[in-house]
Amino acid sequence: MEGTDAMKLAVALIVLLPLAGFIVTLVFGKRMGTRAHVLPVALVTATAVLAVYAFEWVFRHQEEPFVWDAFTWLVAGRYEVTWGFQVDTLTGVMLLVVGIIGMLVHYYSIGYMHGDGGYYRFFAYLNLFMFAMFVLILANNFLLLFLGWEGVGLCSYLLIAFWFPKKTASQAGKKAFLVNRVGDFGFTLGMLLIFVTTGTLQFAGVFDKAEMIGAGTLLWICLLLFTGAIGKSAQFPLHVWLPDAMEGPTPVSALIHAATMVNAGVYMVARSYPLFMHSNTAMLVVMVVGTFTAIYAAYIAITQNDIKKVIAYSTVSSLGFMFMALGAGAWAAGIFYLFAHGFFKGLLFLCSGSVIHAMGGEQDMRKMGGLRTRIPVTFWTMMVGAVALIGVFPFAGFWAKDEILFADFTHHYYVVWVVGVVTAFLTAVFAFRMMFMTFFGESRADAEVQAHVHESPKVMTIPLVLLAIPAAALGVVVGWPPEEGWIHTFLEPVFFDVEHEEFAWLGTGGALMAFSLVVALVGVYVAYVMYLKRRELPAQLAARVPWAYQASLRKMYMDEVYEVAPIRSTIAFSNWLWTGFDVLVIDGIVNGLARLWDWVGAALRQLQTGRVQNYAFGIFAGMLALVIVVGCIWGV
Amino acid sequence: MNPLDWWLLLAVLLFCIGAFGVLARRNTILVIMSLELMLNAVNIALVAVAQFRAGSAGAGVLFSLFVITVAAAEVTVGLGIVIANYRAKRTVQADRFDEMKG
Amino acid sequence: MPGGDFHPFFFVVIAAWILICGLGVVLFRKIVYSAVSMVFCFLGVAMAYALLNAELVAIIQILVYVGAISVVILFAIMLTEVQGDQFTLFFNRQTVFAAPVAVATCVILAVMLVSSEMTGVGEASLNLSVRELSELLFNRYVFPFELVSLVLLGAMIGAIVLARGEGEKR
Repeated sequence: MEGTDAMKLAVALIVLLPLAGFIVTLVFGKRMGTRAHVLPVALVTATAVLAVYAFEWVFRHQEEPFVWDAFTWLVAGRYEVTWGFQVDTLTGVMLLVVGIIGMLVHYYSIGYMHGDGGYYRFFAYLNLFMFAMFVLILANNFLLLFLGWEGVGLCSYLLIAFWFPKKTASQAGKKAFLVNRVGDFGFTLGMLLIFVTTGTLQFAGVFDKAEMIGAGTLLWICLLLFTGAIGKSAQFPLHVWLPDAMEGPTPVSALIHAATMVNAGVYMVARSYPLFMHSNTAMLVVMVVGTFTAIYAAYIAITQNDIKKVIAYSTVSSLGFMFMALGAGAWAAGIFYLFAHGFFKGLLFLCSGSVIHAMGGEQDMRKMGGLRTRIPVTFWTMMVGAVALIGVFPFAGFWAKDEILFADFTHHYYVVWVVGVVTAFLTAVFAFRMMFMTFFGESRADAEVQAHVHESPKVMTIPLVLLAIPAAALGVVVGWPPEEGWIHTFLEPVFFDVEHEEFAWLGTGGALMAFSLVVALVGVYVAYVMYLKRRELPAQLAARVPWAYQASLRKMYMDEVYEVAPIRSTIAFSNWLWTGFDVLVIDGIVNGLARLWDWVGAALRQLQTGRVQNYAFGIFAGMLALVIVVGCIWGV
Repeated sequence: MNPLDWWLLLAVLLFCIGAFGVLARRNTILVIMSLELMLNAVNIALVAVAQFRAGSAGAGVLFSLFVITVAAAEVTVGLGIVIANYRAKRTVQADRFDEMKG
Repeated sequence: MPGGDFHPFFFVVIAAWILICGLGVVLFRKIVYSAVSMVFCFLGVAMAYALLNAELVAIIQILVYVGAISVVILFAIMLTEVQGDQFTLFFNRQTVFAAPVAVATCVILAVMLVSSEMTGVGEASLNLSVRELSELLFNRYVFPFELVSLVLLGAMIGAIVLARGEGEKR
């Protein structure tokens, strides 16, 4: 078959090149010094080209996914796990997102991480991350997917805690790792349940048997898999790690915590579409969790003052949006949003990195302002990202967001639709609050910082521009016309059987679109009034309803809840295990045994009287007993 | 019961009398004397069996001679020990010697 | 009849003699009485040998036990009784256990004796004379005989060493 061998080579290289880059850079990077980025960046560029090639291959062979079992990994009895790869249209979309954004973030990092002590280490980890992420999206079985899943988790941990001498950074890394473990535990159980039920972990094999699985079992499988997604994609209540993950370098936030890794949960749920499709309850859970997370995170984002925290909560909210879409049955729309979100959210993060770079490391928006003219490239690209995020016509977010809201409405999830619209409004408010506080008005920074404000080097601004293009145009290119755009037909082989609602410009569809556009613009206006024109308003509002303000500012007290419920109780339980169980029971048993044998020994010592006649009696009586016993046995 | 049984019964009774003496008397010398009773009981049994059973070819009788010889040696050494102990502790009571213990 | 004719009358008299004297040995409170009782017991045993047609053993019994061992024991008694050891108890504390054990042993052995079938009893014995016995002793059993002489030598040396004690060395 033409092209299959080339495709095998491409897939193998996509996986192996970043791995090679990781190993070589980790071993020799230190000697390369400031040129440590050359090899990793070159390899990732090559990988991106190969990813585009693979995408192009899928584009030409949409109906027939590429499946290749490279070699056997594990053999257990009759069951074997392979390093098996699968490239279908869903994988194709992910390949584009991961490949292109990954490459741009690598270039951006050259400028952003310049002069950092762990320069080579950073690029090594980034390459390892690319390896794991590609394994995750290319896998054709759950176990290999899980390998990539854990691999990206590890890289996330390594990169969040990249500046580990800083205590908050290392603690954020640990937090991310531990919270993800909770989700991964669920995912592992889900995999086990799948294996027990269907006897295989291959996607094809599992999905063929999806209809035969009993409703209860299927619900459990879906819920357990979704638990993994909740952890990885930072959904309530396991979202707490993502805002803290902003302790990592900004390119990491852009690549891992906005564009790629956090999408793994969405990807996995979408990949397991044949399973979720048959379980309405599971779909409902996915939708409810996603919807709640969306509005919850958007509400918190409004009062955050750290520019990266705002975008982080925005990401949590957007991920909630994606799950809302998947749960509502708008699978293609969810992936469309993922696709668009990867670009504009990655862009926003990189822009915020550029802002922080310009401000000499300052992240507090209260000390920014008036940067519009000082760093114009960053400003304009970030504006594109913000506009795309809030969904203004004709930017990327507009098409994706409106398809989701349209699906909610037409599937009669009106409450979800209302929450979605409110979330869109809040998103517009906090996004432009961020823009206004950062770029407009007068500067609130120190004179010394102001003097040093400068536009970032070309190696950073060019990726921004390159990302701004898809953030602006992607929606029109792949999402036009709504519900029938290219992305829908492209994903059709993966999400077969999905009902399509007719989109009427002069009907519900058009009305909803116009409405949400108005909502977004109203949100922008509100932000304009509150954060630019009448700056005393927010404080007055906070004074009027202090509980609402505090709840948002304190992140809905989730950290406090975690502090009390799992952490304190675990410590208390551990303490009890120590003082109650270990000291009393375990030590009690050990010491008790020692005392018992001490006592037995003391008792037995009485037998050794030193008097020879006692011994003689022992011999005599013993022999007598022996004779009696033997006599009884032989029946003499 | 044939005659041999009667002789052996006599040996058993004497043996047990001697054993009781060994186990129950306090005086070490009397313990040795009881030991001699037990040896005599065994000798009676040996000789009786030798005289009533064919094929032993004098072995039983000769064996009892050896027993008597060894008994003589044993009494000599045993009494030597008793005298030595008596010198050390001014007593011959068996239960007064209890130093051999942990 | 082999082993001499079994005379129930003589047997009963001699057996009673032996047992009564044996009981005397273990039961007399005064050790000197015990010793005298022991001598009579040994004499009874010698008579039993005679009744069994074992003249040699009977003679040696009298020579060794009555003649030698009894004397040695009497000497030992005299040596240790000089100071007049006050025996408040002549039985030790385990007597209450020792007595049942001894009785039980006796009963079990007797039961085994009675219940077992002795084969070959009553067949003609060789009933060897002293000459024949000594031929056996110095030919066939010469090695045990020499070994016993070594035992006697060792016992003699041991008794001397023990009896001398450490006090004599000074």
